[in-house]
Order: sequence, then structure tokens, then C-alpha cells
Amino acid sequence: MSLINYRDAVGKALQDSMREEPRLIVIGQNLAAHALKPLAETYGLDRVRDCSISESAMVGMAVGAAMKGMKVVVMIAYADIATVCHMAIVQSAAKLHYLTNGRLHCPVIIRLPIARFRGHGPEGNEVGVSWFYNVPDLNIAMPGSPSQAYWSFREALTRPTPTLFFEDRSIHLRAGELAANNPGGRAAITRAGERLTIIGAGRAAALAEDAADELSKRGFGGAVEVVSLGFIKPCDTETVLNSAGKTGRVLIVQDEPEWAGYAPYVRCALDRLPPGSLAMAPRMLVGADQYLPYWDERPFLPSLENVVSAATELLK
Amino acid sequence: MRWEHEKKHPAQTFPSKGQEAIAIGTCLALEQGDDVLPSFRTRGAMIGMGIGIEEQLREFLHTPSAVGDARDAPHHASWPERGVMPGSTMIGGHLAMAAGVALANQTDGASNVSVAFFGDGTLGSGDLHETMHIAGSWRLPLILVCENNGWEMATPWPKVRQQRSLIPYAEPFGLASRQVDGNDAMDVYQSARWARATALGGQPVFLDCLTFRMGLYSSHFGEVRPGIENDLAEAAKRDPLKRLGDWLISNGMASADDLARLQRVEERRIEAAFAHVAAEL
Repeated sequence: MSLINYRDAVGKALQDSMREEPRLIVIGQNLAAHALKPLAETYGLDRVRDCSISESAMVGMAVGAAMKGMKVVVMIAYADIATVCHMAIVQSAAKLHYLTNGRLHCPVIIRLPIARFRGHGPEGNEVGVSWFYNVPDLNIAMPGSPSQAYWSFREALTRPTPTLFFEDRSIHLRAGELAANNPGGRAAITRAGERLTIIGAGRAAALAEDAADELSKRGFGGAVEVVSLGFIKPCDTETVLNSAGKTGRVLIVQDEPEWAGYAPYVRCALDRLPPGSLAMAPRMLVGADQYLPYWDERPFLPSLENVVSAATELLK
Repeated sequence: MRWEHEKKHPAQTFPSKGQEAIAIGTCLALEQGDDVLPSFRTRGAMIGMGIGIEEQLREFLHTPSAVGDARDAPHHASWPERGVMPGSTMIGGHLAMAAGVALANQTDGASNVSVAFFGDGTLGSGDLHETMHIAGSWRLPLILVCENNGWEMATPWPKVRQQRSLIPYAEPFGLASRQVDGNDAMDVYQSARWARATALGGQPVFLDCLTFRMGLYSSHFGEVRPGIENDLAEAAKRDPLKRLGDWLISNGMASADDLARLQRVEERRIEAAFAHVAAEL
């Protein structure tokens, strides 16, 4: 099987979807001349729509097109801009299926690349995932591998409610194999182990995988299991609980602060395990509760070193 | 609103008294396959698209056969398969949704338009400007129908903008526009026919329909608009139902007695509809 990187996996998901779904359109900025030039040449400017810098109306239009049975991918330049279209995401997109009693579907992907480590500063390096965590019917994908990137994108377009697709540009060049089949939103066990479960999504899942590999080299071979969530909402708690129940020790890694997000959600979900299942209290390793400065974002985020360090503590 | 005060249903209502001609005249000008997105005050668009009184009342009362299961507030109720799309979102947001319907029609090569209704207070919403910008640029088959009643809740238009008409704001975006006497059903109908042809011909349209809100902003808001007695008296003279009736009489198509009888019949029909729907509970 050949390897593909994360960025190309997203691109392939879009290409395959455009080919297979004749009523799928893409709306964004600077697409036909640059970002999606080959797609525009293949499918025409009706389906690859260059739009003004109007993110709120872009999402609203996607909902309107979905009312007529279309599928839409809205390309937002980076995740921070979700603040501009928050109204349209929550009020127009997420509620459509519910408010119409299921008579209208909203198979819309809102692509929100996380753009840290690129010198954007605090207006361009937010994750923003947890801002949406309490919105019912909103799917949130945060893929941590090329296969998850590909399949969560394909999966999103089959759902009757919209999906925020938080792809992390910091792992764009990470390579892997594509799974043969759509896991249907299930989390992935990307490293198998017996003594500790590390849970994460997006870049944090990639960090967990690297930490598991590093710990293998340090004498903890076969110890660490990694659960890469992929979809953080709805969240595959079954896979999480099975792994945690097996290893008895849990570390949850999240780039955002601890107030909200999948980390506190998963930590609460662990209460569903039978009493005594865990050998010790689950631990969260999270981003600092502050903005990330332009000059260096890394000291305020989980790193390979501190994931390895936290895992080592738990394995003692 | 009376039923609400009698506690027969819990919905907040947004009276459209004085503005009826805009929705009805527009919807009568549409064709099979066209869609409308009403504002919270555009009850007439549901009626104009053929949604029966009983069907609408089921959403007020949450009867077992309410197709929307009374999930959305009754002023946002929708019948998508019959061209009444939900305008549910924040003020102005539904205009972008209407542009999306137009986008789908354009991409599919369908010969249909989408129509969004909204009040002149929506001028303050960024989504109106974004929608006009995109619709003009992409030449979407979209018709924006402004129910320009001159009031934002209890605030008269001169306090919140420079010009009564919204056409000066719409034209630079590339929309064809027309000032319409919103209290004249014939003018609305003719304008909407022109708008439909223009929109399908490749230029979105802005209809600025001047009117006057004779009732409250809403049944819950209960605002006071001091000094509007003269405006109300003037609006009563220009009442769209009265004017259409006068036109029918002057053209020999109905007598005053015919119209009075029709009004009685319709009032009885609406009361009977409520009783019938309430009996479904």
C-alpha cells in the first residue's frame, strides 16, 4: 500500500467526492486560480466558486444550496475565521435538520484549517474547536492521520447535519496509509499497548503516536495504546472505554485549555467504567489558558517531551 | 394575536396588518419550483404559496399531524417541498440562505428563482450586504423583497439611516431594483413578474416595497410609537385590502356586498379551522 500525506489525503477526499457527487460544490476564496485550480479546470467554475471575503454568507449560502439537495464544502482560510461565521454555523447550518423535523438535510463541510506555527499570531493561531462543542447536531472532525483526514471528510458528506472539519496544518506532511474502508466515524487505535491509553485528536493524536514510539525505544515497548478520536463529536466513547478498561491508565492530550473540548468530555466519560477499572485518576495534558504569542507558540502547547514525560510518570 | 391573548396558543405573533399585499402579490407572481424564505413577519408568504390555514395552525398548537412537529416557532414554519423554505436564523442570515437556493438553481440550470422577504431594519445586518455583493457578482436568480415599513421596532427609520429607500444601497452591488408601492397588490404583482424575468435573465433584483406597519412589532414587545396617529390614518386610507377591493368594485368585478360577504365567509372559515385543528389535540 502506498503512503499519502495528510494534506494530500484531504485533497484526495475532495477530488473523489467531486467526482462521485455531481451536485457537490465548493465555495471559498482564491480557489480557481490557485488553491483548487485542477478541480476548477475539471469541474468548471459553477462547482468551484470563487467568493468575496464573506464567510458568514458563504456558510449561509451553503445551507441554502443544501435545502435544494446539494452538498457543499465551504473553504474557510483558517480556523480563527470561524468567529466571523459563528452565527451562520450555529443558527443556519446546525439547526436546519432539527428545525425542519428532518425534512431538510445539511450535508455541508466547513473546512477550518488550524494554522499554528506559521507566524500568524493570536488572530491566526487559534484551534477554536471547543467553541462549538455544545452545539447539538454539529459534527466536529479533528483528524490526526491521513487516513482519518480522508475518511472523516468522506463520512461528513454522508451525514444529514453539517461538519466542522478542523484539519491541522502542522501535520500536513505526516504520511500514512489510507484505510480501505470508511470507519464511519469510529476512533482509531493507532498504537496498540497494554499499560497506558493516550487519547487525543488532530495534532495531539499525532504527538501521542510519536510519544508511544519514543517510549518503545526507552524500554516501554508494547506499553502505550493510542486512541486517535478523529470525530470528536459525536465521540466514539466505546473505543475509548474499551481501551481505558484494558490498560487501566489514561492520559488525554489536548491543544486547547482544559475548560472545554474533548479532554474534559472524555475524562467525564471514563466515569462510565465499572468502579475500580482504572488504577489511577486519568490525567489531562492541555494547552495553557492564554493566547499563543507570535514569537513562539510551542511553550504553551503540549509537546512531544511533555507527553513522553507525563506518560512515563503514569507508567511508573 | 387574539388567540394568543385568549391563551389558545403560546406563540409570539408578528402582525403584518397593512403589509399584506407585498407577500401575496409576490407569491402570486411565482411559478412552480420557485422558493420563498419568509421573514418572521411574512405570514402572507405561507398563505400565498398555498399553505392552508389549518396546516399553519397545526404548527401553533403542536398537533400530532404538524409536519414540522412544532419544533420551530410558527413564524418560521416551513413546507420545503412546497416552496416555503425556513427563514430560521438571525436577522439577515436567511438572505444568504436564499442566495444559496438561487445558487443551487443556477448550478442545476433550473429556471427557478428564490425570493427572500425582509424588513428595512435588515439594512443594518452584514449578511444583507454580503448577500447582495455575492448575488450581484454571481448574477444569481435571486429576488430580495424589502417590506420597507419605515420602522425598526419602535424606532423610525430617520434615526437609524440616511435614506428611506434601500435602492441606493442595492444598486452598486449590481442588483436591478424597483421602487414599489407595497400597499398596491397590482404594483407588487407586476413588479414581481418583472423581477422574476430579470432574475432568470441573469440579474438579481431588489424590490423596495414601501408600506407602513399598522400593528405592533410583536404581540410581546408592545411598543409605543408616539405621534403616529396621522400616519395610521393615512395608512388606513391606503390599506392594501381596501384598495384592492375598491379596484375590484370600480372595475365591475365585485360589489361591496360581495366583498363584505367574502370577508364574513373567510372569518368564519378561519375560526372553524382553529376549532378543527384544536380538536386534533
